[in-house]
Amino acid sequence: MDFLPQLIVDALLLGGIYTLMVIGLALSFGVTRVINFAHGEGVMLGAYGAYTVFVLSGIDPLVAMPFLMVAGCLLGMGLFRISIARVLKEPHVNQILLTFGIGLVLQNAALIAWKADERSVVPPYAYSSFELGEVIVPGGRLIGFGVALTLVLILFVWLKRTEFGRATRALAEQREAAVLMGINVSQMYALAFGLSVSLGVATGVIMSFLGSISPFMGFHILVKGFAIIVLGGLGSIVGAVIGAFLLAFAETAVSYYVPNGTGWAEAVAFATLFLVLVLRPRGIIGQAVAD
Amino acid sequence: MHRLSSLGILSCLAFAGALATAPAFAQESIKIGVPMELSGRFVAYGASGRRGVELAAEVYGGKVAGKKIDLLVRDIQSESQATISVFNELISKEKVNYIIGPIGSPTVAAAIPAWRQGKPIWLVPGSSSTKLEEEIGQEPEFFHTFPYAYNYHESVAAALKSQLPPGQKVAIVYTDDNYGRTHQPYAKKYLTDAGFEIVAEEIVRTNAADMNPLLTKIARLKPDVLLGLVQTTDAVTLAKQIYTRKLPVPYLVGTAATQLDEWQKAVGPAQEGWVGVTTYLPGLHRPGNTEYPKLFPPSDEWEAAFVKKYGQQPDFEDAGCYVTAMLLFLAIDKAGGDDKDKVAAELRKMDIPNTLLGTAKFVATPSGTKQQAFTNMVVFQRHDGKDLMLYPPGPETGKIHAVKY
Repeated sequence: MDFLPQLIVDALLLGGIYTLMVIGLALSFGVTRVINFAHGEGVMLGAYGAYTVFVLSGIDPLVAMPFLMVAGCLLGMGLFRISIARVLKEPHVNQILLTFGIGLVLQNAALIAWKADERSVVPPYAYSSFELGEVIVPGGRLIGFGVALTLVLILFVWLKRTEFGRATRALAEQREAAVLMGINVSQMYALAFGLSVSLGVATGVIMSFLGSISPFMGFHILVKGFAIIVLGGLGSIVGAVIGAFLLAFAETAVSYYVPNGTGWAEAVAFATLFLVLVLRPRGIIGQAVAD
Repeated sequence: MHRLSSLGILSCLAFAGALATAPAFAQESIKIGVPMELSGRFVAYGASGRRGVELAAEVYGGKVAGKKIDLLVRDIQSESQATISVFNELISKEKVNYIIGPIGSPTVAAAIPAWRQGKPIWLVPGSSSTKLEEEIGQEPEFFHTFPYAYNYHESVAAALKSQLPPGQKVAIVYTDDNYGRTHQPYAKKYLTDAGFEIVAEEIVRTNAADMNPLLTKIARLKPDVLLGLVQTTDAVTLAKQIYTRKLPVPYLVGTAATQLDEWQKAVGPAQEGWVGVTTYLPGLHRPGNTEYPKLFPPSDEWEAAFVKKYGQQPDFEDAGCYVTAMLLFLAIDKAGGDDKDKVAAELRKMDIPNTLLGTAKFVATPSGTKQQAFTNMVVFQRHDGKDLMLYPPGPETGKIHAVKY
């Protein structure tokens, strides 16, 4: 049976979701060199934010998204200044432990605030779909894809065209030179981290109507997210986007063409990751990270 | 100085005396361990389980055999390691003689090695995994008060056979975890025996973000029934993705989540048409027990009292854990106190008709559990936002409806 057209659509839409999941992670690591193990909890908080706003006021998740992203950015910046800024010069393992701890605190805070019930937001478009010939296109996923595309484009424009964006890139590429040019490192690090959290929040808003929300949803997102950014190349946003679509296509192809493929999809995806790491340790277009 | 020292010594003696008498006070209560999934992926089960046990203790009057009922409720976080720690604490430190819970198949399985350390009487009001009966079904201290996987599929197959024309095609979707792998062979066996043709058996990884590929494959096989052997997050994802793509399969069956209020709220309109199977549903109109009318009233009365107290309808584990705890309290009372062997003997002797779950009687299963109670299940369908009974046949039973989008 010919699954190819449906495979392409499914993989593209899944790639969009994966892209959303990882661009924030790639941005924060690329600039600050901190591996943020609490990124999944940012996604979780975004999902709960959308859910709460929807339940309390009926405001659509997509309408609430810009406001939640701003709140997420401020939260991220605050978190960075209070805690993460203190371990920037510490070994990576200390940073990992700190962010992992922050993640656990956020998970348990969510557990207290919302309990552990599976929840979901159900706006009308979440269940919409249309057919193109024999190909089915789910509306919610298409919206997720559109949001991912828009946010990636905005991020690229911001990085290329704005002063803050150029400063962020300068820090990512050559920290010492950037400091000599008078760039406020502390401020830019906090901004990059805040933006990373806000991108996580945007992911959560999309996930709130595509899947289900629980305090523990962040962990699975984190694991998949790390696989993608390692595949694409640590610290590279372009690499993260390529990694996201590569993984989405690999998983979807296995799901379609291997018997019981949906059960094997993840294993094959991680096998792909393993191969890339063996053959090209820095990922597809990543930076060498020797320190 | 001498006086101070004497006073000090006297104070110490008095304090030591108080400590020495403390265990005597502790003996005035009967400790019952209640390890439940109060957080994590199985919280919907554990929270209900706790509620059921606590309500039973309250209705019973808070005392059993003249001693206070001391429920040691613990959160096992739906995690294996936490389950082991809690069981070790309850058995080694608290030295409980009785444990009720947990509920999820993986958490019950995780508890087995720790339970073996002391073998208190263990009433398990959950876990449909047949691995459980293979491992400890023969143990005299193990009492299972929840149906096994084969009971589920026996009921589902019988319900579908009674509701659908012969020769229908079924596609099975199951998760790669303990739940899915345990249920899948039984689903296949009982459905095949009932004359259904299995056209697909698709495994899906737990927490899979995208089930569309397998749904596309299933749609092309044109089955009449899709049977989902998936839990929690996966049950939500499956229902949402089926509804979104308007999967052309007229009958949808879910064995783990359809009866849960949590699942119904999470999927919203996508719940319509799903068939579920469970031990207990509000609205069954079951009669009460005449010997213990306060403990086992007619189900309508019990539900009304439950709604008044908690502001929500009881779910199957509210009822399951309520009845299980009641059986333990009755057995302790009949045994005349905290004597583990006598209590086990009383449980084995029990034969109480018309509890919320039917007749409470521990019998051996053909597959190896020596003490098993409650294997009857009800099959229902979510229809117009309500539960429509499909099986067993009776005055309340309706006709199955095909899913409409």
